[in-house]
Amino acid sequence: MLKNFKTWFSDYAVVWLLPIVILFGWQFLVQFEVIPRRMLPMPTEVLETAWKLLQSGELFKHITVSAQRALTGLLIGGGIAFIVGLVNGMFSPSEKLIDSTLQMVRTVPNLALTPLVILWFGIGDTARIFLISLGVFFPIYLNTFHGVRYVDKGLIEMGRTYGLSRWGLFTQIILPGALPSILVGLRYSLGIMWLTLIVAETIAATAGIGFMTQSAREFMQIDVMFFAVILYAMLGKLADATAKTLERRLLAWHPNYQKA
Amino acid sequence: MDFIVQGTHLIAQGIKKSFATKTVLRGVDLEAERGEFIAIVGKSGCGKSTLLRLLAGLDTPDTGMVWIDGNALQGQNKVARVMFQDARLLPWKKVLYNVGLGVKDDWKPRAREALEHVGLLDRENEWPAVLSGGERQRVALARALITRPPLLLLDEPLGALDALTRIEMQQLLENLWLEHGFTALLITHDVDEAVALADRVILIEEGQIALDVPITLSRPRHRGSAEFAALKGRILNRVMGVNDDRQPSLRVLQSVV
Ligand SMILES: Nc1ncnc2c1ncn2[C@@H]1O[C@H](COP(=O)(O)OP(=O)(O)O)[C@@H](O)[C@H]1O
Ligand SMILES: [Mg+2]
Repeated sequence: MLKNFKTWFSDYAVVWLLPIVILFGWQFLVQFEVIPRRMLPMPTEVLETAWKLLQSGELFKHITVSAQRALTGLLIGGGIAFIVGLVNGMFSPSEKLIDSTLQMVRTVPNLALTPLVILWFGIGDTARIFLISLGVFFPIYLNTFHGVRYVDKGLIEMGRTYGLSRWGLFTQIILPGALPSILVGLRYSLGIMWLTLIVAETIAATAGIGFMTQSAREFMQIDVMFFAVILYAMLGKLADATAKTLERRLLAWHPNYQKA
Repeated sequence: MDFIVQGTHLIAQGIKKSFATKTVLRGVDLEAERGEFIAIVGKSGCGKSTLLRLLAGLDTPDTGMVWIDGNALQGQNKVARVMFQDARLLPWKKVLYNVGLGVKDDWKPRAREALEHVGLLDRENEWPAVLSGGERQRVALARALITRPPLLLLDEPLGALDALTRIEMQQLLENLWLEHGFTALLITHDVDEAVALADRVILIEEGQIALDVPITLSRPRHRGSAEFAALKGRILNRVMGVNDDRQPSLRVLQSVV
């Protein structure tokens, strides 16, 4: 009994020990004003705020708006990157024409273009989605391109001798062969997607998590600001977990994903 | 006996092939009768795989022609199936789906039947990654035979297997060949394997066919027999460039087999 508890504790519970101590310490420090309340909210306050936002439906509205921006950007940027990566990976004339130009543009951080993008598109959602699209483009492009380029030539030759059409070669050999690499690109671009979203939403938005934070700052609602940070973290984690699940599903054949 | 397929009649005529700086084949003439089993031996780099690729239509000769049942080969050889040293299974398809690759109608029962022929029906739902080397080659063999090809081109398919698995696979290959009746061209670096399986053993040397030995031993062949050993010795001697008819020394033997 005691031994069971011990292993349970040392295996699972112990990782929560430090976070719990920190939370309690934090609550204590703020409650007794060791740290001024306008710098840091109490954990209980943050929870309360979260509950209120949830009940009023405001939270849902902001998350939907933010997620829509993020996913639209991912779909546009990632979609184009995927197609250009495939084409460049399979046809070397197109690679020669396009790849080195893209490699040059790649060195520009997407957020550095923010002022220009605002100039071009104004401060609406178009600018935000453009920045996200730009940010997710390169990881997906590069990994798709490399994935396609380095598919085992022996397998392609085998496919040809076994009577696969061009379409068959593409769907049954090239695409699945490139998939591990493509998914790495996707996971990486999800990180960039959130980062860009966070920055882009602080520019004159009228809804979304970033807007929620900005307006909270004006009214000195430190608890809301804090909650927004946690929300970004949770959404980022969710995206990462989705990507991981996708990998486990789609790459079940891969030795890395097989049970030992 | 509904398995018998008519084997291909194959003629290669004056085949020459060079790569950038290197002439690999300098005029190869080869004829395979319907249902004949030919083994091709030769030192590494002598052009065996190159010849096989030309016969498969994966590459074109600089000069010379390949005739398949009287028709000049153009582009890919549709009647041929190729087996490579690495099984080249698609890692992202389960065994059954690998076997059915490229087969259009009613492929599942046919794939199961082909798997049964190589004794792997119970592994149809495995990923290739979990199979042993020998099992992978058996799956590759099933995949090659599912369409009942009249011509099977084998590029050292058993080269990477351990000795016991290899002998097992040789027997399987021989049985399937006897049953199906396809024409077979087997590249091997194992003279023992060549003598055990083939109707004729061909040696490629300096880009040409240097030796063409019919093997008339009755099947099933016994590797222990004196005739077997004598034939093998003769071919080995020639491969190693020993010109008299002495038995090769044990050291030479081991370094080749
Ligand atoms: N695509 C190629 N380009 C250049 N050289 C090649 C190519 N394919 C084969 N060779 C050369 O031709 C020679 C014969 O190769 P190969 O037919 O693979 O020999 P092996 O008898 O061992 O199968 C080797 O020297 C190899 O380097
Ligand atoms: Mg070879």
